[in-house]
Amino acid sequence: MSLRGAKNAAAFAALAAAAVLCLGLNVFTGSADIPFFEAAKGLAGGGPACDIIWKIRLPRALAALLLGGALSLSGYLLQTLFHNPIAGPFVLGISSGAKLTVALLLTAAASVGTGLSSASMIGAAFAGSMLSLGLILLISRRVGQVSLLVVCGVMIGYICSAATDIAVAFADDADIVNLRGWALGSFSGIDMDSVAVMAVVVPAASLCVLLLAKPIGAYRLGEGFARGSGVRVTLLRAALITLSGLLSACVTAFAGPISFVGIAAPHLVRALLGTSEPLALIPACFLGGGIFCSACDLIARTAFAPSELGVSAVTAVFGAPVVIAIMLRRKRGGAV
Amino acid sequence: MTDVLISAEGLAAGYGSPIVTDVSFSVRGGEILALIGPNGGGKSTTLRTLAGELKRLGGRVVICGEDAELLPPRERAKRLASMLTDRPHADKMTCRDMVETGRYPYTGWFGLLSPEDKRAAHEAMRLVGVDGLAERNFSAVSDGQRQRVLLARAICQQPEALVLDEPTSYLDIRHKLAFLEILRRLAGERGVAVVVSMHELDLAEKTADRVLCVKDGRVTRAGTPAEIFTEPVIRELFDLPEELYRRYIGK
Repeated sequence: MSLRGAKNAAAFAALAAAAVLCLGLNVFTGSADIPFFEAAKGLAGGGPACDIIWKIRLPRALAALLLGGALSLSGYLLQTLFHNPIAGPFVLGISSGAKLTVALLLTAAASVGTGLSSASMIGAAFAGSMLSLGLILLISRRVGQVSLLVVCGVMIGYICSAATDIAVAFADDADIVNLRGWALGSFSGIDMDSVAVMAVVVPAASLCVLLLAKPIGAYRLGEGFARGSGVRVTLLRAALITLSGLLSACVTAFAGPISFVGIAAPHLVRALLGTSEPLALIPACFLGGGIFCSACDLIARTAFAPSELGVSAVTAVFGAPVVIAIMLRRKRGGAV
Repeated sequence: MTDVLISAEGLAAGYGSPIVTDVSFSVRGGEILALIGPNGGGKSTTLRTLAGELKRLGGRVVICGEDAELLPPRERAKRLASMLTDRPHADKMTCRDMVETGRYPYTGWFGLLSPEDKRAAHEAMRLVGVDGLAERNFSAVSDGQRQRVLLARAICQQPEALVLDEPTSYLDIRHKLAFLEILRRLAGERGVAVVVSMHELDLAEKTADRVLCVKDGRVTRAGTPAEIFTEPVIRELFDLPEELYRRYIGK
């Protein structure tokens, strides 16, 4: 026990250090060549770099950390719900559902010439997430195999993306530029006001997840085991669905659909901690997702600077192999 | 005479529409009731409903004098533990972790284990002889060990009644006997009421205090092992031709 405790403490210290390091790298590096001391002065609120640091880099770095954590937790909840490590908001088409409703709202708002509040964006994304998730849950009643469910999710994703493309085609030229970038997944252009909103929604939802650690721990064994332990399973499932939808909706509303973080980050964190105990995994998943997204955004911003990559392209490069590895390992173990 | 700890009164059970109807029995503390009968007869459905995994479709399940459906889930879990045929998802869990999940109804908001929870888990593992496996990965142990770990999980839930669905299938004879011996001790020493379904007729005869025959969705007969394990009853229950019965089962 004490050995495991010490190992956990070390793992958490490493995760926290990595998160701080990623945040620092994202704030202190970028396409504008700002020396370290200038950047530090800017961070303190003075000097010519102040604007770049406070209006561009810091909000973006914080968003990557927070939204990465939200994605990872959303994935973790879906994996718990479906009892399968390859469930996630992206592969099940939930992110794409949110993308579609947000794109529809954006084009509608653009056509009448009004702006949109963060709350209405999150609301639209949440509605889209719930629609896709509802569809997946309906299908899951008829299809027992999760691999088939994932295929259905991918198809739902394609349908939503196609519908999004059609919606974008009807948008005015000026809006399309924004919409295209967002539809590929990107942390660029996020301002401090948006960060303030996500700094409330994401930690609040994550705290709710943490408060459910005990029933989640019973539910991970299987529905029957949870019921036998005294868990109100229907209530718990509703909570898992709502929270995972809200977390991934928050990500899609601000940064568009971002692929594979929801599967890769929880898997890597589970391997790091060597446990499936929710009380340890939930905070670790949050940190792990934040680190994963921050690191991928760092690469997206700097690899081919000054031109920028879509962050989803980078997360796919690092995340998809993890998914393949999980499936191969499960195949060897004889259970998919 | 000890109290009736679990009983069914005209119970109907199934998935939407009834698979079994009109099941009635009562089990006192210290008694073992065995359910026998052909596959698909309704044993598992009955046990799942007793365990609370399925909603009853009619009748009542009474646990320690109270209607099971009216008990709060946690209170119910303190009185009745089950071990059905589902295998748990046990990614990165040791056998100790698995047993300790049995303490769920007793722990606080975050499910942290008190020293007493730890002690109860350890004692349950010692009782079923798996304390040596505590740190082993649950997914890596043998079938026999897995069944005993799951029994330890049910025992550390400290229930008054225990419901088990074919716990001894897939075990070799030594593990079957060891398992049934633990059940007998649980009933005899701790006064637990046990309801268990079994396919091994010879073992059911020697384990059970009373036997319920379940076939085609109803209870066809109930009685003591001496009354049930006779040629006419068993042949009728399993539709066995006389020749087969005599060759393989008869004395």
